[in-house]
Amino acid sequence: MWLWFAKLGSPKWFYELSTKWLPWLVVATVLVIGTATVWALLFLPPDYQQGYTSRILVVHVAVAGTSLAFFPLMAVAGTITLVWKMKLADMVAKNAAALGAWFSFITLATGSIWGSVSWGTWWEWSDSRLVSMLFQFFLLLGVVSLRSALEDTDKAAKACALLSIVGCINVVIIKYSVEWWNTLHQPASPVSLQSGSANGPEFWIATALMILGVYLFLSVSLILSTRNEILQRERRALWVKEMIAAER
Amino acid sequence: MKPHRRKKLGIIIFITLGLSAAVGLTLYALKQNINMFFTPTQVAEGEVPDGQHFRIGGMVKDGSIAREEDSLSVNFVTTDFVSEVPIHYVGILPDLFREGQGIVAEGRVDSSGVFQASKVLAKHDENYMSPEVKAALDAAGTGAQGVMPSEGYKPSY
Repeated sequence: MWLWFAKLGSPKWFYELSTKWLPWLVVATVLVIGTATVWALLFLPPDYQQGYTSRILVVHVAVAGTSLAFFPLMAVAGTITLVWKMKLADMVAKNAAALGAWFSFITLATGSIWGSVSWGTWWEWSDSRLVSMLFQFFLLLGVVSLRSALEDTDKAAKACALLSIVGCINVVIIKYSVEWWNTLHQPASPVSLQSGSANGPEFWIATALMILGVYLFLSVSLILSTRNEILQRERRALWVKEMIAAER
Repeated sequence: MKPHRRKKLGIIIFITLGLSAAVGLTLYALKQNINMFFTPTQVAEGEVPDGQHFRIGGMVKDGSIAREEDSLSVNFVTTDFVSEVPIHYVGILPDLFREGQGIVAEGRVDSSGVFQASKVLAKHDENYMSPEVKAALDAAGTGAQGVMPSEGYKPSY
């Protein structure tokens, strides 16, 4: 098991494996997001109160849910960096921070647009769900700037790892904010398997597909940027030199 | 696992648990400040200091909406099914505003006990359904109510 763990941390191994898997992942991402988009635009029934405005929520819910995965992901990578000093973990964590900031931004933007129509406001400072999400956005920008502020790669990796672990607390707050306090934001919807009832399959299938699609997109983006990072940091390694020589 | 690694992992877990406890206690202490609004019952029980600017959250009582013919002025009553607070507002209401709908209003209570709102927001609940389903549920007499923005409320079906 430890041998497998050590192998997983090898940038070369990751680079070669991802070369094989990447095309399939890209095809799957395009297919799933495409299907979800068409479904949401053509077949999703209007909500009895909001009408077609509810279609924004397909994107909002999928991106918001996925954006909560970044801090746990970075915390796991950070723990591996701090304890086992695995190079690959830090490369993944570095790129996850910037990507997570984008996800948080899209969550805030789509939510704001929906809120302006349904609630009658773009933004409410008094709503704990909204503010804790904004906090996650700033925290992720903080991780990105912390890394670029420290020149020493090892020190930057350690500092960012710690901040990522601490940031996980905020994820719990975002998730439960709508249950612990009263807010303008609605709580998570229960999923009903019965067609023709509230929250029936006709409402959540498009969203479920979109969640899968967004997770696939996240994997593809993360793998692509990690591959770039590998080439940059390992540019003096023999296998990288050989590969580049072979491609010329 | 090597001892120095075990020690590092222990420190990380200790820091995380310690910080979580600190944040948890802080949020617990600030609970009332983080809540977005007071319920009509809390207002009736005098939990809001006199003359203070605050938010109130409740349902729009059925049949209570009265609009003035020649202005944007509107009067309605908000309720949590225990207490009621009359609200007066001048302005454009959000799309989802209707009777039986959860709303959050911001303003202050005037000397005659009417809540003078400077802003009215509509809440949407966690239930989504098509107009056909809503009609079918209403016909069966089990239609979901609009959301009651208060703790512990569960739609009745």
